[in-house]
Amino acid sequence: MSVFSPRPEMPAPSTARGIVRAVLLTLPMLLLIAMMMTQGELPKDSLTRAVTAITYALLGAVFFLMVYKKETYKYRAALFTIVAVCFSIAFIANLVEMRGSMAVSRADMLAGETPFCHLVIPMVIIPAAFTRTIIFPGSLLEGFANIASMLILWLGASLALGRGWCSWVCFFGGFDEGFSRLRKKALIKKIAPVWTYLPWAVLLTLALISALTLSPFYCEWLCPFKAVTEFEQITSFKILLQTIIFASLFILLVVILPLLTRRRTQCGLFCPFAAFQSLANKINIFDLRIDTEKCKNCRLCVKDCPTFSLDENSVGRGKTLMSCTKCGKCVDICPQRAVTYHIKGTPVAVGSDTARILFLYPAFIFMSAIGGSMIVSALTRIFKLIATGSMIG
Amino acid sequence: MSRLKSVLAYTAAVLALLIALATFTGMDSFGRKLVSVTGIKVSPWMIGGEVVSVIEHEGYQTVIHRPVFDGLFSERKKGMLQIDWTPQQGLPARVDELIDFDRDGKDDFHIVLNPESNKAGLEAINPRVVSIEGCYTLKDGRAARLSLYHD
Repeated sequence: MSVFSPRPEMPAPSTARGIVRAVLLTLPMLLLIAMMMTQGELPKDSLTRAVTAITYALLGAVFFLMVYKKETYKYRAALFTIVAVCFSIAFIANLVEMRGSMAVSRADMLAGETPFCHLVIPMVIIPAAFTRTIIFPGSLLEGFANIASMLILWLGASLALGRGWCSWVCFFGGFDEGFSRLRKKALIKKIAPVWTYLPWAVLLTLALISALTLSPFYCEWLCPFKAVTEFEQITSFKILLQTIIFASLFILLVVILPLLTRRRTQCGLFCPFAAFQSLANKINIFDLRIDTEKCKNCRLCVKDCPTFSLDENSVGRGKTLMSCTKCGKCVDICPQRAVTYHIKGTPVAVGSDTARILFLYPAFIFMSAIGGSMIVSALTRIFKLIATGSMIG
Repeated sequence: MSRLKSVLAYTAAVLALLIALATFTGMDSFGRKLVSVTGIKVSPWMIGGEVVSVIEHEGYQTVIHRPVFDGLFSERKKGMLQIDWTPQQGLPARVDELIDFDRDGKDDFHIVLNPESNKAGLEAINPRVVSIEGCYTLKDGRAARLSLYHD
C-alpha cells in the first residue's frame, strides 16, 4: 500500500448500530454533564435556564459526534476555542461589573483578590516548598478562582490527563488553537526543532527568578493572556513597559505565529506551564502510540502536530514526545490509522477504541465542567447585550 | 503477567474517570484540606505581613504590619513595612503620626499622609527606615509601604 493510498476505514459498525453505540456511550456523559452544570438544581431565572439548556445540548452533541464519528480533534478544537472565547467574555464582563475595568488595582492586590490561574503554578512551587507561602496576591480559600481550588483542579487533571490539560482543560489554549486553524495552509512550514526546547529554558529561568525575587515574574512581565483577562493598572513606567511586553507577546505568539504556522506556538514554543505539565505525562496512564508496522513514514503527523510533539525519532520509536497534549490530531489525520490512543501497560493497537473512550470520559468531564460554566456565563452576557444593549448589570 | 498488567492498566484508566469526578465534587473540601495540611499562606510580600498592632484614633485606626524580610532560605537585608489607615471615611485631611513599628518604646519614623492626593512624606528616625516605596489605595482606606534595612 503506498503512502497515498486511501485511508483505511475504521471497522465501523452499520450506521444504525453505530448510532446506538454512540448514544449508549453518550448517555452517561450527558448525566455527568448535567450533574456538573446544575449541581442538582436548575437555574432560577429563565434566561440562565435557556442558556444552560443550549450549552448542555452543545456539549452533548460534541461528545456524541466524537464517539459516533470516531474523530476527536476537530470537535475538541472547536469546543476548546469556544471555551476560550467564552472564558474571556465572561471573565472581562465580571471584572467590569465588579471593578469597573479590566485593570487590577493595587487595592485588589493588597486585599489578595487577584484571581489565581494555573500558568503561575510552576513559579510558586519552589517558594512554597521553602517558605510555605504562595507568591501570588490571591486568596487561599475565598472567592472566585482561589488558590486552593486551582491547585486541586490542577492536581486532579494532572493525574487524570497528564499534559492532556493543555488541550482539554486550559482556558487559554483555545485562543492559540483557534488562530492556528483560521488559515488552510501554513505560510511558515519549517520550524527548527531547537525551538521546542525554548519552553524548558523559559520555565527554568522564570522558576529561578521567581524563587529568588519571591514574585510571580511570568505574570508580571510576560503572560500574553493578560491581554484577554486582566492586567495591572498603568501607574508607572515599569507597568507601562510590562503592558507593552505582554501585549506584544500576545499578538506575536497567540495571533500572528499560529496564523502563519498553523501550530500552537504559544503552547508549544513558549509557555513555561506547558513545559512543566509535560512532566505529568510521565505519571499519567494515557498516551499515544504509533504502530510502527502500519506507519509508512509519511511524516504527516510530524508536520501537523499543533504542539511539536512528534519528530522522526519519536515516530520511529512508536511514541510521541513527552510534550504530547493528547489533542487527537495525529490520530485523526494518519492515513494508515497507525496512531492511536493507548493505555500504558496494554499492547499497542489492541483495544485502541476502548483506550480512546476511556480517555475521552475524564478529558471531556474536565472540559465540560470548566468550559460549560464559562459558556453559560458568556452566552448570558451576550443575550443581555442583545436585549438591553449592555453586558453589565 | 501481561494479562495482569493489562488489568491493572485498565483499572488505572477507569480510576482517571473517578479522579475527574472527585476533583469537582470534592474541590472545596480538598482545597481546605490542602491548606490545613501544608500550612501554606499567601506571601507577606504580596499582601503585607501579619498585623502586629493597631493604634486607635478618633474615627480611624492605624494598622501596623510585621516588617517583612522573608527570603527563600533566610532573611533578606532589605525589607518592607506596610502601614494601613482605615476606614476611608474617618480619615482626617492630613494624617500625621510618629510610629514605633518595632515596639521598643522609641519612635522609628514620622509619616505625614494626605489621603486625598494619596501622597506621603517620611522623616526617618531609626536608621533602619530607608524610604517610602509607595502609597496605595485600599478597599476602605490607604496604605503605605516603607523600605527597611535589617538590624
